[in-house]
Amino acid sequence: MIALAVLAAGAPLTGPLAAACGARARVAGLAQAAGAAVALGCAVALLVALLHHAPLLAWNGFLYVDALGGFFLLTVSGVTLLAALGSIGYMAAEEQRGELSRLQVRLYFAFFGLFASFMLGCFETGNLGLLFVLVEASTLASVALVGIEGRARSLEAAWKYVIISSLGVTIALAGTLFLFYSASALHLGSNLGLTWPFLFAHAHALAPQSLRLAFLLAVVGYGTKVGLVPMHTWLPDAHAEAPSPASAMLSAALLNTGMYAVIRFLAITQARLGGTYPRAVLLSFGFASIIVGALFMVRQGNFKRLFAYSSVEHMGIIAVALGFGGVLGLYGALLQTLNHALAKSVLFLSSGDVSLRYRTREAEKVSGLLAAVPVTGGALLLGSFAVLGSPPFGLFLSELTIVRAGFAHGSPVFPLLLLALLGLAFVAFARTTTGMVTGPPAATPSPYGDRGSAALTAAPLVIGMAALLVLGLWIPAGLDEVIRHSIAVIT
Amino acid sequence: MQTLSSSSTAGVLLDLCGVLMLLLAFACLASKLFNRYVAYYGTQSVVLSFAAGTAAVAFHSAELWILAALTLAIKGIAIPVAARRLLVRRLALKRDTAMSTGLSTSLIAGGALTAFAYLVTRPALLPHGTVAVAVVPLSTAVILLGALSMVVRRHTIAQLVGWLIVENGVFLGGITLVSTFPFIVEAGIFLDLVAGVLMMVVFVSGLTRQLAGASAEELKELRG
Repeated sequence: MIALAVLAAGAPLTGPLAAACGARARVAGLAQAAGAAVALGCAVALLVALLHHAPLLAWNGFLYVDALGGFFLLTVSGVTLLAALGSIGYMAAEEQRGELSRLQVRLYFAFFGLFASFMLGCFETGNLGLLFVLVEASTLASVALVGIEGRARSLEAAWKYVIISSLGVTIALAGTLFLFYSASALHLGSNLGLTWPFLFAHAHALAPQSLRLAFLLAVVGYGTKVGLVPMHTWLPDAHAEAPSPASAMLSAALLNTGMYAVIRFLAITQARLGGTYPRAVLLSFGFASIIVGALFMVRQGNFKRLFAYSSVEHMGIIAVALGFGGVLGLYGALLQTLNHALAKSVLFLSSGDVSLRYRTREAEKVSGLLAAVPVTGGALLLGSFAVLGSPPFGLFLSELTIVRAGFAHGSPVFPLLLLALLGLAFVAFARTTTGMVTGPPAATPSPYGDRGSAALTAAPLVIGMAALLVLGLWIPAGLDEVIRHSIAVIT
Repeated sequence: MQTLSSSSTAGVLLDLCGVLMLLLAFACLASKLFNRYVAYYGTQSVVLSFAAGTAAVAFHSAELWILAALTLAIKGIAIPVAARRLLVRRLALKRDTAMSTGLSTSLIAGGALTAFAYLVTRPALLPHGTVAVAVVPLSTAVILLGALSMVVRRHTIAQLVGWLIVENGVFLGGITLVSTFPFIVEAGIFLDLVAGVLMMVVFVSGLTRQLAGASAEELKELRG
């Protein structure tokens, strides 16, 4: 199992390796996709093993994988695979047109793989100090992806992203210090004292006052990476300026990594302080994110920024679900994480195809996608409806679960507010994307040199939509068991 | 975990270091010259290194000795020197004009944040009579002041220095609050690495801007 875990985190390094050997976009991209596929396979194998065995704990707690970590491994390695497939055609087209130099393409794949590996590593460590290091390392790897185009706009976005995230993660370090301080009754001196399973098992001995502060600092700190309002300001800029496959990674993988760290702190806090305090914190940040995300979607002309604000909204929904709590709330939160990751990957990857063809990120200048490019147009249309939570896609099911959890938790005000905001987001979002898909098609030349690249660009869209549809119709027994195991780990 | 009483020599020294660091954070907030930002940050790091050394003596901790040495070498010397050579001089920067509030307003806000830091960290959080009671509010105030200078200043170097001050504040709190925190050296080294990357980003984007500005001026000269 140790070998599997190491391989799962290390496999995406095939891309950087290929890039270091001087491969061009096509080959590096294929290597990256192959690595991501191996990582996904390892994640599945790990999950199967974890369903029957105790969590993997080795190397003094530096390596720790339980069902929750396995679930996030599955989600993020799946997103990495989709984004890597999308990168092949996108980067080859950019290289061919001379938008990006060969060096830039190689740098892109070098950092893409590192970024994925650091994120996957986050789910495999029990040491909260190492978790902090890996989360910040993933920021550093991805800042190069945001600024890769080297224009003034993208450099500004990259700066904003790296400085705000670094500040956030430094605050999370302060939270980790306070968590360790709250455990001073346990007289710990070794690294064991900083491992999550140990702290969770001894939660009853933690000092409540400093634990409160630790949780708040962790939510603010890691919440910066999640994109919770008001720490979200870097998010729309970074998502809009990064190349589209990298935006997919940011939205569908990085935000989840931040949320994973929040969930770890939440579990310890809930075990010691009960549900009331964390609920208040998470519901406040969650609803603030949903409100701001939905409102900023109303008049958003840039479709990549539109998707970014939708990510803010969805992270808010997940925070609210965690706040509602209970088995139902956690189930909804995890299911929502997986579904949102799939839907956002599809949306950002299709936006990549659109921006390659139309050379614009303004929704107004795009029309008739469905007639011009049926696969991308279809994915954009269906993906929009999926991300907005309409049946028969997975997000309908998960959002329904979350609303049910809200009603089960007591006051009906919160779930009703959630429903109203979801309605607002629906109108705001669908208004823009349906305009892009319908109408008279514009004649645009294919940006891809050959049919192979075009097919590779379409593949992740089709795979992602198919997975979303399956998750909407029926939750496979294995996945259900994994989510239940994950919930058992943190309650 | 060992705790240090506030009346012991080490406790008094740590307290003093905390006060000095807070004053330096205020000095940075009140300054307008890029060179000064870097100088105040460097001095603050030297004080932090002294505090870490004091804590190392008091707690007999080898890890804290390493931290003190690293802080002096990297944060006290290497980062300020590199920032001055690579950023301030190379990019020909002098006065910071990109501020969103006046100096007096930001100083008043800084005072309010310091009071706030005392308000939130005092009650019931820390055991009475220990040095942490005196130093943790100070370190919280340093963190808030660093964050404030990131907010009121728009220039990348000013924001970078703000973040570095936040980091110093976190470490001041760390060494007094949890001297046995096992990951502190690794975290310190890693954050120095982050600082290096941030400086690189500042440098690249500053250079790009400079080049863009230069080419725009050339275009103006070719009129007629």
